[in-house]
Amino acid sequence: MPSFNSPDVVAQVEQHHDAYERALIAHDVAALDGYFWDSPDVVRYGVSEHLYGAEAVAEYRRSGGPTLTDRRLVRRKVVAIGDNVASVMCEFHQKVFGQPRHSRQSQVWVRLDGGGWKIVAAHVSNALMGPPQAGSLEAFADQTAAVLGVPLAAAHRPGVVQNLERAAAIAAPLLKLPLAAEAEVASVFVP
Amino acid sequence: MTPALPTAVEIAASIRSKRVSAREIAAAALARLRTTGPELNAFTLVTADRALAEAVKVDEAIATGRDPGPLAGVPYAVKNLFDLAGEVTVAGSKINRDDPAATADATAVTRLHQAGAVCLGAVNMGEYAYDFTTENSHYGPTRNPHDPTRSPGGSSGGSAAAVAAGIVPIALGTDTNGSIRVPASFCGIWGLKPTYGRVSRTGAFLFVESLDHVGPFARSVADLAVTFETLQGPDPRDPACSARAAEPMTGLTSGPAGLRVAVLGGYFEKGASAEARAAVGQVAAALQADRRVELPTPELARAAAYTITAAEGGHRHLARLRTRAGDFDPKTRDRFLAGALSPAAWLLQAHKFRAAWRDQIREIFRDVDILLAPATPVSATKIGQDMVELDGIEVPLRPNLGLFTQPISFVGLPVVAAPVWTAGPLPIGVQLIGAPWSENSLLRVAWALESSGVCRAPVAKIE
Repeated sequence: MPSFNSPDVVAQVEQHHDAYERALIAHDVAALDGYFWDSPDVVRYGVSEHLYGAEAVAEYRRSGGPTLTDRRLVRRKVVAIGDNVASVMCEFHQKVFGQPRHSRQSQVWVRLDGGGWKIVAAHVSNALMGPPQAGSLEAFADQTAAVLGVPLAAAHRPGVVQNLERAAAIAAPLLKLPLAAEAEVASVFVP
Repeated sequence: MTPALPTAVEIAASIRSKRVSAREIAAAALARLRTTGPELNAFTLVTADRALAEAVKVDEAIATGRDPGPLAGVPYAVKNLFDLAGEVTVAGSKINRDDPAATADATAVTRLHQAGAVCLGAVNMGEYAYDFTTENSHYGPTRNPHDPTRSPGGSSGGSAAAVAAGIVPIALGTDTNGSIRVPASFCGIWGLKPTYGRVSRTGAFLFVESLDHVGPFARSVADLAVTFETLQGPDPRDPACSARAAEPMTGLTSGPAGLRVAVLGGYFEKGASAEARAAVGQVAAALQADRRVELPTPELARAAAYTITAAEGGHRHLARLRTRAGDFDPKTRDRFLAGALSPAAWLLQAHKFRAAWRDQIREIFRDVDILLAPATPVSATKIGQDMVELDGIEVPLRPNLGLFTQPISFVGLPVVAAPVWTAGPLPIGVQLIGAPWSENSLLRVAWALESSGVCRAPVAKIE
């Protein structure tokens, strides 16, 4: 049975994780490479990518990746397992296409002989936002799209909801307008 | 650099009097297209064989003493949403490339053909016409001939650019919320958005059936008038096309005397840049228009036009949104998807408001004949530009380019977009707005503005 949560180890790992977060936001590619275990056995699952080996992880970073400047940690739990292993679990918020996203990140950190603390495995996932609030345009979009048989791809959904929000705001003063009963849209049939 | 083409009326006169052949003119237009075309990125299809074949027919008619028509040998281009027999109608999209070729010409194309005109090809547009800048992700942006770093306006940007560059004297476009008037303004040429239902849309790939209009671009009022005269008239195949017979445009040189002209105030001045206001001022001064008229709640008319556009546009593309959403231009996709999902209550309220507002606007025309307003709030904007300052506030550029056009087409009023040059290096358009079926009056006013030099549409200087 290893010892858990040595305060000294937790503090060290938190410090490294803080620096890692800063490098992420700054998109400091060289620094980020340095945090990952330089081994073909390192694994990183992103929301949509599955990277095996340090080379694949480094290549992904260089291909651009998303902008994370508004990434903000909302909760973090570090558990030290013995003196040389720690799990780091956190929740963070960031906007994607202007829409707030709630995501999670799980990492296993290991202190290598002479090599310092490195991430040997990591996984990022988006939290299911829960069912959208009843009456919200998100819920409306999902349900109407389902009724009409229009598949709403995850990548398009935020933009669609944003456009519905704009359209709702534009239609609002129109909907408040009292219209005369004889204001009707009728087709006229002329013999 | 090969020379620009003269006006349509000049070309037709030269050909009829046998000073030049229709074939020579077609060859000259193709040469002008080759030297200016690649940089402007206006044409997406060049129908050289068709143009030469049509030109040969015109030359044969003249040789055998038959009437070759009022547009004899005049080259023209069409927005690539018009059917051309044997060609695929792409409407600015990637998706429609998989459609079969059109089996017949659009009605507007047929009428130009019957008048002796020669089709040079199809030109670029914003995807499915949901656009004001012709920045098309599939075919690239079309560039403004007056400044290639700028947009020609949209969605009929290719049509306006081809005319302003002197490749063709006339071109066809469509206008739902401003898609003829915005590019006419940005490119400094004449554009005519006819009364809703006066020009057939059969064979044009529609965007919003309740708001779609077909109309011409030109660099002279005479060309605009003769092209409109050719296009107008009933077509039983277009359910929105009026049965009212075509009427010749008469008395164009008689001046604007007797027409009551007023400047649209309020909403139509508030969001206008200094140059847009200056342009309206120049036209108003020339027409001695010192009256101001305000329309009731133009912002609601714009809101209703927006709502109808989203819902009908989205519905038109429902099948494509189900199966090929990923193949839409990212600039239009989310708007079409949102429109397809929009609630019926929004659309019906907008349509009912339209009927009520049409009646209010009819009253306005009891004591005025012509209303003046800017065609665009600003002159041509940069390609890639996202924001613009209007009335001291930064707002998204693209939706706001239709600020002054959208409420007018909402109730189908005819408009001539007149090109004005103010102190700046770029032109800007002024809308001459009339009551339904008043195109003849609008063209009379346009003729006077052109004759007095207040409005002009020179061929762009292209290096």
